[in-house]
Amino acid sequence: MKHDAFSKYHPLVSFLFFALTIVFGVVIQHPAYLLAGVLSGGIYLSLLIGKKVFRWLTALIPLFLLVSLVNPLLNHRGSTVLCYVFSNPYTLEALLHGMVTGSIFVIMMLWFACYSQVLTSDKFICLFGRLIPTLSLLLVMVLRLIPSFMRKTSQLTGARKCIGKSGDAVSFRGKVASGMTILSALTDHALEGSITTADSMRSRGYGSGKRTSFQIYRFTPRDFILIAIIAALTSGILAFGGNAATYTPAVEIDRVGVGLICYCALCFIPIILQIKEAVQWRISISRI
Amino acid sequence: MKRSTLFSLISIFLLLPATLYLGTQLSGKAYYITSTLVILETMLPFFFRFESRKPQARELATIAVMCALAVAGRVAFPLPNFKAITGIVMIAGIAFGAETGFMIGAVSAFASNFFFSQGPWTPWQMMAYGIAGFLSGLIFHRHCARLLKNPPLLLGLMSVFGFVGIVVVIGPLLDCSTIFATSSHLSWKYALAVLAAGLPHNVTHGISCALTLVIFSKPLLSKLSRLQTKYGMLS
Repeated sequence: MKHDAFSKYHPLVSFLFFALTIVFGVVIQHPAYLLAGVLSGGIYLSLLIGKKVFRWLTALIPLFLLVSLVNPLLNHRGSTVLCYVFSNPYTLEALLHGMVTGSIFVIMMLWFACYSQVLTSDKFICLFGRLIPTLSLLLVMVLRLIPSFMRKTSQLTGARKCIGKSGDAVSFRGKVASGMTILSALTDHALEGSITTADSMRSRGYGSGKRTSFQIYRFTPRDFILIAIIAALTSGILAFGGNAATYTPAVEIDRVGVGLICYCALCFIPIILQIKEAVQWRISISRI
Repeated sequence: MKRSTLFSLISIFLLLPATLYLGTQLSGKAYYITSTLVILETMLPFFFRFESRKPQARELATIAVMCALAVAGRVAFPLPNFKAITGIVMIAGIAFGAETGFMIGAVSAFASNFFFSQGPWTPWQMMAYGIAGFLSGLIFHRHCARLLKNPPLLLGLMSVFGFVGIVVVIGPLLDCSTIFATSSHLSWKYALAVLAAGLPHNVTHGISCALTLVIFSKPLLSKLSRLQTKYGMLS
C-alpha cells in the first residue's frame, strides 16, 4: 500500500468513516449524491492501490451495466415505455432506477475495497479486542498460522526432495500422493504445535485473570478533531436533507442544498487529508 | 440468568424486530442494510456464547488450527472455484460439535477475507460457512467415533449431505447477498434469476466439498482423535 494520510489516524476514526460512507452510500438514492460517492470512493481507492484500481474498474463497469439493464426486465413500473421485452414494458423510470441500484452497488464495492486496505487485521483487533477478547485472540492466532503453514510446507517439500521424493518427475497419481503426504505431515505438525502453544499459554497464566492488551494505536487530539468533523458533517447531512429521490412510478428528485456539500465534504475527507499532507510536504521542502 | 443468554434474548427479541421495522421505514428500502443487520444479529448469540464459555487454552489453540486449515483450503488451493474451505469446516463441525463448528466456519470466512478483500459479502459468508459447520455438527457429531471404524456408508452419506447442503442451503444463502445488494425492487422473479445464475457455481462448490469430505474426513478425524487420546482433551 502507498503512503496514505487517513490510514495514520486511529482505527476508530477509520471505522466510523467507512461505516457512515457505506450506510449513506447504500441508503441515499439521489443522483448527485451517488456521483459524489462514486467519485470519492474511486479516487480514494486509486490513491490507496495505484494502478491496480483499473482491475477493479474493469470488473465493476460490466457489473454496473448488468445490474442497470437487468433490473428493468423485472420491474415494470413507470410511464415512459422505451420498448417491449417478452411482451413486458421496459420503462425509462425502471432503467433509471436500475442505474441507481448499479451505482449503489459500485459505491459499496469501492468503499469496501478501501476499507480492506485501511482497516487491516491489527486495526480490527485494536477496535474489538476489549469487546470480544476470546474471538479476537482466535483471529490473531488464525492469521498468524497461515504464513507459518506456508513456511512449514516449503520445509517439508525441501526435506522430501533431499530424500528423492520430490514428486516432480512422477505421474499425476504420484503428485497427488506426494501432496497428500505433505498435507498430512503439515496437519500433524500443526495439531501437535497447537498443544505446545496451549501449554505455553497456560503456563503464562492464560485464563487466570483479566487479560490486558497491547495497543499500538493511540487516540490523540487530532483523532478527536476528525471525529468531531465527521459527526458535524453527518448531522449536517441528516438535518439539511434534500437527498430524497424516487424513480418508479414517476421520477421525483429533491433539489440539492447544503446537505450535498456536507456529504461531499464527508466522502472526500481522506482525499483532502492526502492533498493537505502533500502541500505541507512541498512547503517544508521548499523551506530547506 | 447468564449474561450470554440475556444478550442472546435481547438480540433475538428486541434487535431483530427493531431492525426489520426500521428497514421498512427507510426511504429507499435499503434491503442490503436491513438483511445484513439481520444476519449479524443472528450470529451474535453464537459469539456471545463462545465468549462467555471462556474456552481453555488447548481448545482455543486447536480451534485456531482448524480455522487456519480451512482458510488455507480457500487461499492456497490452485484451482479457482474449487475450494476446500467448506469441506474442512464441515469436518471441524463433525469433530467439535455444532456450536464450535459454527464458530470455526464464521471465523474462517472472516479471516480468509483478509487475504482476499472484505466486502458486502463478508457477513453472509460468515453465516453460510458457520451454518455449514453447524449443520454437519448437528447431524454427524454423535457418529464421530463410529466414523473412524466403519466409514464407507457414513462417508457416502456425508458427501451427499455436503453436496446437498451447499446446493440447497449454503450456496443460495451466499447468493442472497447478491440479490439484496443488486436489486432495485425485490421480487421473486429477480431472486430466482440470481439463484439460477448462481446454480452452476454452487454445483462446483458442492462437488469440491463432497470430494474434500471423502478424501480428508477420515485422516483429519483420526488425527484429531489421536490428539484426544494422547493429551486427554476435547472430551
